[in-house]
Amino acid sequence: MEQETGLFSVSIDFSQSHLFFPHIIHWVLFLLALSIVLVHGREIVRHVQGWSESYREHGLDYDRLRLLGTLVLVVAYFLLMNWVGQLFPNTGMGFLLVSIPFMALMSLLYVHDLNRRKLVAILANAIIAPLLAWYVLAQLFFITLP
Amino acid sequence: MEIFSYLSPMFFALTAFGVMVGIVFGAIPGMTATMALAVCLPMTYGLDLTNGLALLLGLYVGGISGGLVPAILLNIPGTPSSITTTFDGYPMTQKGQGERALKTGITASLFGGLFSAAVLFLFAPTLADVAIKFSYIEKFLIILFALTVIASLSQRLLVGLFSGALGIWFALIGTYDISVGGNGEYRLMPEFLTDYLESGFSLLPVLIGMFGLGTILQEAERGVHEESLDSVKYQKGATFSFSIFKGQFVNLTRSGAIGTFVGMLPGVGGSAASVLSYTQAKNFSKDPDKLGTGAPEGVIASESANNGLTGGALIPLLSLGIPGDSTTAVLIGAFTLQGIQLGPLFIGENLDTWNVMMVSLIFANLVMFLVMFFAIRHIAKVVTVPKYLLYPGILMMCVVGAYAINYGVMFDVWTLLIFGVFTWLGQKVGLEVAPFIIGFILGGQAEVYFVKSLESFGTLTIFFTKSPIAVFLWVLIAISVAYSVHHTIRAVKRKKAGNGS
Repeated sequence: MEQETGLFSVSIDFSQSHLFFPHIIHWVLFLLALSIVLVHGREIVRHVQGWSESYREHGLDYDRLRLLGTLVLVVAYFLLMNWVGQLFPNTGMGFLLVSIPFMALMSLLYVHDLNRRKLVAILANAIIAPLLAWYVLAQLFFITLP
Repeated sequence: MEIFSYLSPMFFALTAFGVMVGIVFGAIPGMTATMALAVCLPMTYGLDLTNGLALLLGLYVGGISGGLVPAILLNIPGTPSSITTTFDGYPMTQKGQGERALKTGITASLFGGLFSAAVLFLFAPTLADVAIKFSYIEKFLIILFALTVIASLSQRLLVGLFSGALGIWFALIGTYDISVGGNGEYRLMPEFLTDYLESGFSLLPVLIGMFGLGTILQEAERGVHEESLDSVKYQKGATFSFSIFKGQFVNLTRSGAIGTFVGMLPGVGGSAASVLSYTQAKNFSKDPDKLGTGAPEGVIASESANNGLTGGALIPLLSLGIPGDSTTAVLIGAFTLQGIQLGPLFIGENLDTWNVMMVSLIFANLVMFLVMFFAIRHIAKVVTVPKYLLYPGILMMCVVGAYAINYGVMFDVWTLLIFGVFTWLGQKVGLEVAPFIIGFILGGQAEVYFVKSLESFGTLTIFFTKSPIAVFLWVLIAISVAYSVHHTIRAVKRKKAGNGS
C-alpha cells in the first residue's frame, strides 16, 4: 500500500515502538487531568474546603480502629502466610496455619458487642472455614496454596 | 448431539449451587455479583471448562437476582442494579406486602432473564459473524466506543474518561509482548520490579483486589455495622398472586428489552438499565403518580430490566471479546484461565461450549426462580448473616484466588492488596471503577490494534477512511460523547435553577 505523507502521516521506529502508545496515553491523561481541573476546579476547591472544615470540627470521620486494623492484619497475614508456607513447602500449611488466627482476629476486630455466643461462633468459623477451604482446594482439587 | 455428553448431573448441581451462593452474595448489602464471581473463582481451578462455566453463570444470575431482597425488605439495594427496586418494593413492605413484593420481583426477574437469554442466543452469533470481518482499525474503534459509552454514563464524563485512560496505562505496564508483534522491551515500571511485572499485573488478582478487598476496606472504614431485619413487616397485607401481572406484559417486555439492550452496550453497568426502564415505566404508566408509593408495576420494571442485563452483557463478551459489565469482566478471566480466547471466532469454534452456556443460563434462571419463590422467607434471613463472620472468610478466599491463579505466585497476592487499597483511595477522589476495569482489560489490545494499524498504513486518517463500519463507529462515538455533554449541561442548569429558587 502506498504510504501517505503529510500532516497525519506517522512512522514508528520499531526499536522504540514499546513507548509509542504509552506516550499517547500520558498525553491523554495529562490533558484529561487539566480539563478536569478547568471544568471541575471550583467544585474540587469547595470539596477540599468543606472537608478541611469538617476535619477541624470533628476530626477524621471514620472507624480508625477497624480500618487501620484491617490494613495491618492483611499485611501481616500475607507476610506470615508466605513465611510459614516456606517452612512447610507444597503442603498449603502456610495458608491453613495462618488463616485460622487471621480469621479469628479479623472477626474480633469487626464484631460489635462481643458476648460468649458470638465468641463461640467466631472461633468455630475461624477454625472450620480455613480447614474446609484447605481440604477441598489443596487436598481434593490439588490447587497450589501458600 | 455432543452437547448431551457435557450435561452431567454435576453440571446441573454446580449451576444450582452457583445460583444459591450468588443469591446469598446479592442479598447481602455491599456484596455484589462481581464479588461472588471473584471470590468463587478458585473453585473453578479444579473444574473443566463446562463445569466451571456452569458454576460461574449460576453465580452471575443468582448474584444479580439476590439484590432485590434487601432492596425490598430494608430499602438498601443489595446490588447497584436493584436501586430502583427500592422505590416501590420498600413502600410495599411498609404496607405489610413484603412477600408480595418479593415474589413479584422474582417472577419479573425470571422473565427478564429468559428474555435476555433468548436475545443472546439469536443475536450473539449474528454479531460475531459481522465482527469476524473487522480489521484492527474497527477493533480499535470498538474499544474506543466502549470506553466513551461507559465514561458518558459516569457521574462526570471527564473523570470517567480519565479513569478509563488510567486503566489502559496500568494495562501497558510490563513488556511490549513479542507474541503480538511488539519489540519485547520493558516500559512503565522501575527496574527492581521487572522480575514480577514482566507480563504486567494479572487480571484476576486486580479484579479480586478491587471488588473483594476494596469493598471490605470501605466497610471497615464505616465500622462494619449490621443490618437489622427486626422491624420488617413481612406479610400482613395482600398476598401474592400471578394476577398481579395482568396488563403488565408490555411493561415486562419493554423492561426486559431495555435491560438487554443496556447490557449489550459495552461496559455499561446495571443501575443504568434499571433506572432507564423505571423511568420508561413511569412515562408509559396509566397512573404515574402511583409509582414510588408501592406499585408492583415499578418492581416489575426494575427487576425485569436488571435480569435482562445478564444475557445482554454476555453478547459483546462472546461476540467481540469485550465485557458488558464488571461481572462479565471476571468471566473473561475465567475463560482465559481455561485457555479460551473470546472474540468473533469463539462461538463458531466452540459450538458445544456455546450451547452448554445457553443451557446453563436458562437452567440458572429457572433454579433462581424456584429457589427464591419457594424459599424466600428463609433466603431473606441471609441479609442478617453477620458481616464479622463473612468478611474474614471472603478475604481468605480472595487470597486463594489470587495466589493460585498463576500456580503459586506471591506477587499476585500483593497485587490484590495494591489494587484493593487503590480502589478504596481512588473512590474517595471520584475514580470510576467500571471505566478503569474496562480500560485495564482492553488496554493491551487497544495498543496492538492502534500501533499495528499505524505501522501498516502510516497515517492517522486511515481510522476515518478505512471502511463504512469505521465511519459508523465514529458516529456512535460522537453520539455517546454528545449525549454525555448534553446530559452534564442539563444537570448543571437544573442544579443552578434549584439553587436559585
